[in-house]
Amino acid sequence: MTADPNKLTKKLEIGAPGILFCLDKRDDSSVIHCGSSDGKVYTFDLADEKPTGKPLESHTSYVTGVALAGKYLVSGSFDCSLVWWDLESGKPVRTVKDAHARWIRGVKAAPDGSFVASVGDDMVCRLWDAESGKLLRALQGHELQTPHHFPSMLYACAISSDSKLVATADRVGHIVIWEADSGRSLATLEAPVMYTWDPSLRRHSIGGIRSVAFSRDNKLVAVGGVGKIGNIDHLDGPSRIEVFDWQAGERTHEFSHDKLKGLVETLAFGPDDAWLVAAGGDHGGFIQIYDLKEKKAIKEEKAPMHVHDMVLSADGTTLFTVGHGRLATWELKEASA
Amino acid sequence: MANRRANFCGSEDHLIHRRGFLGAAAAAGAFAANMGVLNVLRSQPLASELKRQQKHVILLWLAGGSSQLETWDPKPGHENGGPFRAIETNVPGVHISELMPKMAQRMHTTCLIRSLNTRNADHGGGAELMERGRRDEPTVKYPDLGAIVARELGRPDSEVPDYVSMYTTAEGRRKGSAGFLGARYAPMFLDKDLMPANIRRLEQISDLDHQQRGELRQVLGERFARGRGSHSVDSHNSAYKRVRGLMASEKLFDVSLEPQQYRDAYGPTQFGEQVLVARRLIEAGVPFVKVARGWWDSHGQNFETHLELVTELDHVMSTLIDDLEARGLLEHTLIITLGEFGRTPRINPSLGRDHFASAWSCSLTGCGIKGGSVWGKTSPDGMSVVDGEVGAGELFATIFQALGIDHKKDYYLGSRPIPLTNPGTEPIRDVLA
Amino acid sequence: MLRTFQKVLLCAAACGIGAIASVAPAEELLPADRPIPEVVDHYIDAELQKREITPAAQVGDHEVIRRITLDLAGRIPTVAEVQAYVQSSDPNKRVQLVDRLLGLPDFALHQRNVLDQLLAGSDRMENAWREYLLVACQENRPWDVMFREMMLTEESQSSPGALGFLKSRAKDLDRMTGDTSSIFFGVDISCAKCHDHPLVSDWLQDHYFGLQSFFSRTYLTKANFLAESDEGDVKFKTTAGETKSAQLMFLTGTVITEPEAPQRSEEEKKQRKEELAKLDEQKQPHPVPQYSRRAALVDVALRPGERDFFARAAVNRVWHRLFGWGLVNPIDQMHSGNPPLHPELLDWLARDFIEHGYDLKRLIRGLVLSQAYSRSSIWLEGERPDRDLFAVANVKPLTPRQLGVSLDLASRNQATMPEIGADKWQEFIAGRENRAGRFSTWIEVPTDDFQVSVTEALYFSNNAEIVNEFLSTANDRLISQLVGQEDREAGLQMAALNVLSRPLDAEELTLFKNYLAQREDNLTGAWQQVLWAMMTSPEFRFNH
Repeated sequence: MTADPNKLTKKLEIGAPGILFCLDKRDDSSVIHCGSSDGKVYTFDLADEKPTGKPLESHTSYVTGVALAGKYLVSGSFDCSLVWWDLESGKPVRTVKDAHARWIRGVKAAPDGSFVASVGDDMVCRLWDAESGKLLRALQGHELQTPHHFPSMLYACAISSDSKLVATADRVGHIVIWEADSGRSLATLEAPVMYTWDPSLRRHSIGGIRSVAFSRDNKLVAVGGVGKIGNIDHLDGPSRIEVFDWQAGERTHEFSHDKLKGLVETLAFGPDDAWLVAAGGDHGGFIQIYDLKEKKAIKEEKAPMHVHDMVLSADGTTLFTVGHGRLATWELKEASA
Repeated sequence: MANRRANFCGSEDHLIHRRGFLGAAAAAGAFAANMGVLNVLRSQPLASELKRQQKHVILLWLAGGSSQLETWDPKPGHENGGPFRAIETNVPGVHISELMPKMAQRMHTTCLIRSLNTRNADHGGGAELMERGRRDEPTVKYPDLGAIVARELGRPDSEVPDYVSMYTTAEGRRKGSAGFLGARYAPMFLDKDLMPANIRRLEQISDLDHQQRGELRQVLGERFARGRGSHSVDSHNSAYKRVRGLMASEKLFDVSLEPQQYRDAYGPTQFGEQVLVARRLIEAGVPFVKVARGWWDSHGQNFETHLELVTELDHVMSTLIDDLEARGLLEHTLIITLGEFGRTPRINPSLGRDHFASAWSCSLTGCGIKGGSVWGKTSPDGMSVVDGEVGAGELFATIFQALGIDHKKDYYLGSRPIPLTNPGTEPIRDVLA
Repeated sequence: MLRTFQKVLLCAAACGIGAIASVAPAEELLPADRPIPEVVDHYIDAELQKREITPAAQVGDHEVIRRITLDLAGRIPTVAEVQAYVQSSDPNKRVQLVDRLLGLPDFALHQRNVLDQLLAGSDRMENAWREYLLVACQENRPWDVMFREMMLTEESQSSPGALGFLKSRAKDLDRMTGDTSSIFFGVDISCAKCHDHPLVSDWLQDHYFGLQSFFSRTYLTKANFLAESDEGDVKFKTTAGETKSAQLMFLTGTVITEPEAPQRSEEEKKQRKEELAKLDEQKQPHPVPQYSRRAALVDVALRPGERDFFARAAVNRVWHRLFGWGLVNPIDQMHSGNPPLHPELLDWLARDFIEHGYDLKRLIRGLVLSQAYSRSSIWLEGERPDRDLFAVANVKPLTPRQLGVSLDLASRNQATMPEIGADKWQEFIAGRENRAGRFSTWIEVPTDDFQVSVTEALYFSNNAEIVNEFLSTANDRLISQLVGQEDREAGLQMAALNVLSRPLDAEELTLFKNYLAQREDNLTGAWQQVLWAMMTSPEFRFNH
């Protein structure tokens, strides 16, 4: 069955404890792992008749990143620590207490299972050996402070499908493409519209790049966030996506949605890079799908919650989303009889 | 030519000679006196002993409403608590948000009030209440705290302003009001930049002309006031009398005159600069300075907003405390950190917090305060006050007592006595030194 | 506060908030056909005699013309006006002056500003509002007619200016209720909303919410038109916790019975909602209800037996504006707990006001022709008599617009102005008056016991506008005339007449002549300083 983004349909919706910030799932398993604001990692088995979250307890603050790497699940949190969980026993096998000096904002695993990347507000991306937990490299290319002298934030990272590249993106819209092996910075890109500084009415900022993804052929990098906001008390700005040919340093696509407001929290390319799916929200949530060739929207759907993270299956037919107090699954194919 | 002009206008002897047209009686002391302010400032990094005995207030106004959970009353481990940890302070048993590591090391200077229930969660109404300590009556417009302090601690003929209010961000901007005390106690209001409007002499008029025409005006003014029995007319004359002194205070607003080490210490943000100006002002004898830090109304992205704003507040407030302490001014200066209300414990789907006036916090530092004390307690979910509930009136009574002002003192509106706080209002004695 | 209100409550409990009860039956008041000034002086003087107080002397011609011109035309008199008045030996010259000023376009402009300040305060209003007020003042439209227009004008495509009063308040029921009550009826009843007097609190709440009910169906449509629904009642919680529906009740306690609100089925409700939504989309006003509660309010408030609130409030406000202090103070506390010192005078004036068709101009004319109005504001010997006695005049701070226009005239080469009363004058004075609007940035609106802020003093001391505009050496400015004057004394007297509307006395002349004598090096600058000193003196700043 090939994926058809036009046929996006919600299949399942489950209430969940707290705010779910992140998830990971393997195509060959019915189990979803996600991280919550209550400091726990939850495991849901969708094969259960009534899936309920089984908690793994370890963090003391919001769990903002989970990544499946080999036989481990690695979780990261605002408590600055990373925890390696043995998937079979459900027990923590390793805790790196001060993996970052400030909040950890995201954890991703290399598709080949060799390493794990974490980003945090110390503005460093750290690469860890998936098996041993050894720190391989610290990638430093983001300013600690915004141009307005406030602490900056490093929200997002992504790893290419060949596990050779890492992309990181921060609050002021600065993006770096790294070579994982050498730690060399290969390219930098800018998406400044994602950051709104209000110099007169409120004198602070809002926004930032919240999501980044490589195309499956690794030629493109998409970043998501929110466009310029007038009243920065609210997420009252157009959701925004920019796509770059990172080697050429050119922006190839720009999608700004005035009706679906708020942050694009997560992005994924469909099979053959024909389309791109984005999810996020403000008080409510959304899913948007764009045809990259035609550069136009294929589908927009309201999500039952502000979506913080998602996983798209390799064949593009199933989508798993988590967010504010909820988990939902979606199909992108002709409804099966 | 240029030289002659300078001589012509600059020499003090010459000045006195030229004042002859007024006759000896009119050559009042005002002129000689207004130089004094600047000399104090220029010559000494430390304020004089005289100035130190005077009491001052710096109000750090967190406009829009800061979150008690991300500042003074963290709720770690509760779903309402948000992502920030609570950290220990240098006062055993007192924990505050991890966003305030510097204040945590200065907790001994500060008291926390964690049990405000002020019931008004609307920006305008809340601000009015927290500026004045009570709601207006239909026929009584109450003065705000700055106006009362200006009246109680200022000198009637003061050459420096006695109430300076800075509010440079535009959202929710409020000028403040002297209420029934009248415009004499209205703030010198800085809403555009760091320099007050009309404080500099125009270049096209010489200092001598500026001085002399003021003296001519004063003669006319005093002749007119005779027999009129009007406070309004008197206030007109006294406002003009203060002009020259206020102009001399221009330099107080100029941060570039501050040694670089202090500018660096307060940091490069506008709030930092304004608080540095506030310190310069109180050091020169200004009784009340309000610095409004706008705008905290974090309906969306509360944690990001507080990461920015509390980090800045922690730094600037700590620097101010250290600076005042080093100058021997802290024990005579009350720093109030307050806004119109706090924020909802419940976290909304935009990861924001909304307006909340039922259980929130403020802090008092320095003059008359028992440092390290904590008053009141909220429930584990932060939704309500469980111990020591106080309102705006009690807070104001506490502030007045800390400054040595009797909170039961009466003002008179016509023949009607109006106490500084409503009858029956008591200060929080446990936090007073 | 509490004490005052308790008094009110106790005496008013049975019959509504008492308007200040008439102390004497109508036949005991002075006859209705006596001229207003005579009646004013009769009652004011009687009280002074009773207390054995000799009032301050009548002011001289220079002060009379300045005071009256500021009060009626909203500006200082020109030099020509001053000289003509002073030189006239006509025994009737004050009456002629008043009638001339009342006929000038300046009067309508000033009257409009006074009403605008009263009715709109600092609210941001549409242009149509000020235009409406101006036309009404030009026509001397009766006050009851204006009240009716402000409450009841029907919406049309170009929303009528008269509705500005309600439109600016329509989103706040408490403001609509409270401001209507204090401005038009002279009673601020907002304390009754939640007053907790143990004996009569229920009654008081009935009362507050009763008045509120007249406005509770009024709203602003999505297309920003004023509208009134034909259904919906005010419900409130009594202090005992009981929920009650409010009756339509006027301040006097009179209850209005109204037709039942239409009963609509769910289907009809839906249909109606759609119809209204359609009108919003087409930017059309909503239909007028068959029964209007606001119309019921206007009707009851102007009905004989009920209209005392309305008439007395207007009389007291006009009095307050001209005398700098009301017959009742504060002016929105006109209830039986706060009686006037001159109850017969208030009664008589209110009766006269009603009988002469709520004619504001007539009332103003009558008051400024009284002796009480033209007393000196100086009291040198002994304790100054209480303000309520009107034995000595109060000084009145100028409004921002009065001050702005007056500064312009004071600093002008008056030879270059159009002739007063000529066609071009209206355009000229309206232009000055319009430009003076900017003064509200620096100058506060006067209140009782007004104080001048240091912001104002700094503005006059250091703002470039003052030098560039009022002290400019351009041909149309006074400085250009003064600099050309050979005769210093004549120059100084010209400046004084321009600015202070009077000549200088010997002492002042010496002061300024000595000053000028020392400034031979820069006479232009010296004249500028002299003019500045006069324009910033309190004598200029106040109406005295």
